[in-house]
Amino acid sequence: MLSRVAESLFWMSRYVERAENTARFLEVNLNLLLDLNDITAIDHPNYWNPLIRVTGDPASFMERYPEFNAHTVTDYLVFNRQNSNSINASIGMARENARSIIDSISSEMWEQINNLYHFLQTVTPQQVHNDPFSFYREIKNASHLFQGITDNIFSRTEGWEFIQIGKYLERADNTARLIDVKYHMLLPREGREHDPVHDSFDTIQWMAVLKSCSALEAFRKVYLSKIDPENILWFLVLDRTFPRSIAFSIYAAQEALWRISGSSRHRYANNADRLIGKMEAELIYTTVEDMYNKGLHSFLEEIEQGLNRIGEQIHLLYFAYHTPKIEPNDIHEALPFTGLAGGRANWSQSQQQQ
Amino acid sequence: MISLFERYDASADRFFDEVLSAEMKPRDHYVKMVHRFGQFSLEDIRTRRQIVNVFFRNQGITFTVYGVEDGIERIFPFDLIPRIIPANEWHCIEQGLIQRITALNEFLTDIYSDQKILKDRVVPAELVLGSKHFRREFVGVRPPLGVYIHVTGSDIIRGLDGRYMVLEDNLRTPSGVSYMLQNRQALKRAFPVLFDRYKVRPIDNYPQELLRTLQEISPTSRPEPNVVVLTPGIYNSAYFEHSFLARQMGVELCEGRDLVINNNKVYTRTTRGLQRVDVIYRRVDDDFLDPLVFRPDSKLGVAGLINAYRKGNVALANAIGTGVADDKVIYSFVPKIIRYYLGEDPLLENVETWLPSNPKEMKYILENLDRLVVKAANESGGYGMLVGPESTEEERERFAEKIVANPRNYIAQPTISLSRHPSLFNDNELVGCHIDLRPYVLFGKSPVIVPGGLTRVALKRGSLVVNSSQGGGSKDTWVIDE
Repeated sequence: MLSRVAESLFWMSRYVERAENTARFLEVNLNLLLDLNDITAIDHPNYWNPLIRVTGDPASFMERYPEFNAHTVTDYLVFNRQNSNSINASIGMARENARSIIDSISSEMWEQINNLYHFLQTVTPQQVHNDPFSFYREIKNASHLFQGITDNIFSRTEGWEFIQIGKYLERADNTARLIDVKYHMLLPREGREHDPVHDSFDTIQWMAVLKSCSALEAFRKVYLSKIDPENILWFLVLDRTFPRSIAFSIYAAQEALWRISGSSRHRYANNADRLIGKMEAELIYTTVEDMYNKGLHSFLEEIEQGLNRIGEQIHLLYFAYHTPKIEPNDIHEALPFTGLAGGRANWSQSQQQQ
Repeated sequence: MISLFERYDASADRFFDEVLSAEMKPRDHYVKMVHRFGQFSLEDIRTRRQIVNVFFRNQGITFTVYGVEDGIERIFPFDLIPRIIPANEWHCIEQGLIQRITALNEFLTDIYSDQKILKDRVVPAELVLGSKHFRREFVGVRPPLGVYIHVTGSDIIRGLDGRYMVLEDNLRTPSGVSYMLQNRQALKRAFPVLFDRYKVRPIDNYPQELLRTLQEISPTSRPEPNVVVLTPGIYNSAYFEHSFLARQMGVELCEGRDLVINNNKVYTRTTRGLQRVDVIYRRVDDDFLDPLVFRPDSKLGVAGLINAYRKGNVALANAIGTGVADDKVIYSFVPKIIRYYLGEDPLLENVETWLPSNPKEMKYILENLDRLVVKAANESGGYGMLVGPESTEEERERFAEKIVANPRNYIAQPTISLSRHPSLFNDNELVGCHIDLRPYVLFGKSPVIVPGGLTRVALKRGSLVVNSSQGGGSKDTWVIDE
């Protein structure tokens, strides 16, 4: 399959997943709002700052907004097209990628992305603030519908594997960041060190993270109501049955990579397979205690960096195939299609078709 | 129930009507169709329109209109009433086109080698050598099998007396063949019985014929030549067609960035490494093919492609530099070109053409602007033209200035009342609309034409312009066995 097509399938899938997860990030705080009866605290910057810290670039945020609060952070993460991780920008790029390979995907897949894109154009910030839950549910459902359609009608060819890899790499990365939000959320502890409700605060925060991963019910089936941080951490990072956990996502991405390259356990064909195999092996033998010893934040950061390295290797192996003669700016050309590529689009239109 | 045709006004005194003769009787080959449509109520028509619309929408058959922000895609308007061409008329068209294309190919071979026709002063050298599409760099480069124009789509019209004439030759990147194929599929779904009553010659083998032609021109001896379609990309108006043809032939649809050149050979970049390419059916203009040779800022092409082509490692369809022969000024010399190379009289006539570069003809043109059609020599798609009778005084003055300033760039032709064909207007009445015909000629080892073509129809009331960018639509076109 053409590298360009494989790459666009990968990024199309990845951006849809990213939009879904950004909606999940924002839900963490909404869940807190509902669970804590401390309404005044919900606009406290220390709740919102972590979202920006784990999803993007605080400096670019501070250039545009005076402070961290519900309005500004929601605006930045949902609507701001300058923020390449915002829901709007992600869906825009998913659509551009889909459009560039419109003949390689089914029309139902295209329609789903296109509908979502047009839906987003009609939503106003006020609507989101009035009824955020409905809005985030809409985004999550649209993403599920897209992956569901793909699952049901896309042939199990190499292209399908690239869609899976995009989805699961993004998900593993995002779940790691979602847990990291909790790490950064220090506020309720301040001044409440000896508060008897401190522990329940902690539990409520963890539950909010679980809910944002749609994991609360699944978690309860395993642990009944023993909601303690260690169990939750184990579930979100290491559980092999829950499809949003880090270990599950990495295993699913690994299987897709194997199907492309023909690798198997103990035998890798390339660097991407080697790195993801190494990461999987590490996760198999990791315990929650190990995570604490390393420091939760450092542990999660290492996973994110590992995922980046795997992404780079996939790019080199499958997308950027080139002979040494090619100039560096040709490789740049092969990078994912981000927004309307001015020059090429105009020239493409100008080609006379008699 | 009143039959649709009973209310139809053919205006047979002013136009050649394809269906009805001057005596207002259906021509022989249309009798069965008129009878069949006579049985339909408007309700029937609407039901069938629905079938056709669903088909087109599901296939995603759209084209993009230039100059519209965000590239709005529209469904190509389709008229339900088919155009029928009897076998004997088709035979003339077929023979005429084969003769014409053969001669034009000889012409290209000649001007890119010995230039005998210029030395013999049959065609003025300055018109050829000064043409914007003449590629000096390719003099002496012989394409595989000596064929330049592998895919052509000449536009054919009929005047008041019903004679077929060639209006223009499209020798670079003719488009529309996907509509020809899809129109047939759509109409078969809507009117299966009607097909049963006529012996309509099939056209569905066009993609196979195209692939065969492309494989025939492979310059390498590899047993299964690898053919790709090169598209300018999704923003191009004909992107649907490019992807349609690639899928129908079962070959890869590439953009320039999918191809790399290594050691003067062309490869696609795939997830399994580099794959050799033998033949490129390119829908990209010459100027954009290779930034090293032509426009250096082109991102649509492939650096090094032209060297690979020169070395004979890859074939391009159509070859480079064919635009010089479909220049509208050269067009007026085609009858002479046919006589010069083949020693035969042209079987298909040209439309009478005046050239402003000739002072006498310039005078005639300027005096008769209100009765002529003036076209820019290198434009297509109905852009840059003046339709005299429909123009205002001011428009004519502006055009006159342009002609005087740049006579080489224009031609003038009489306003021809194109033949008309009853078409369903808003699906509730029959109106005579002007039509033309574009058959597609494939030329590998020898010229081949699938029996049919794209009939374009001017669906604006009274309009003479059939181009899709100007509100034109199309009809299914049937060539029938007697």
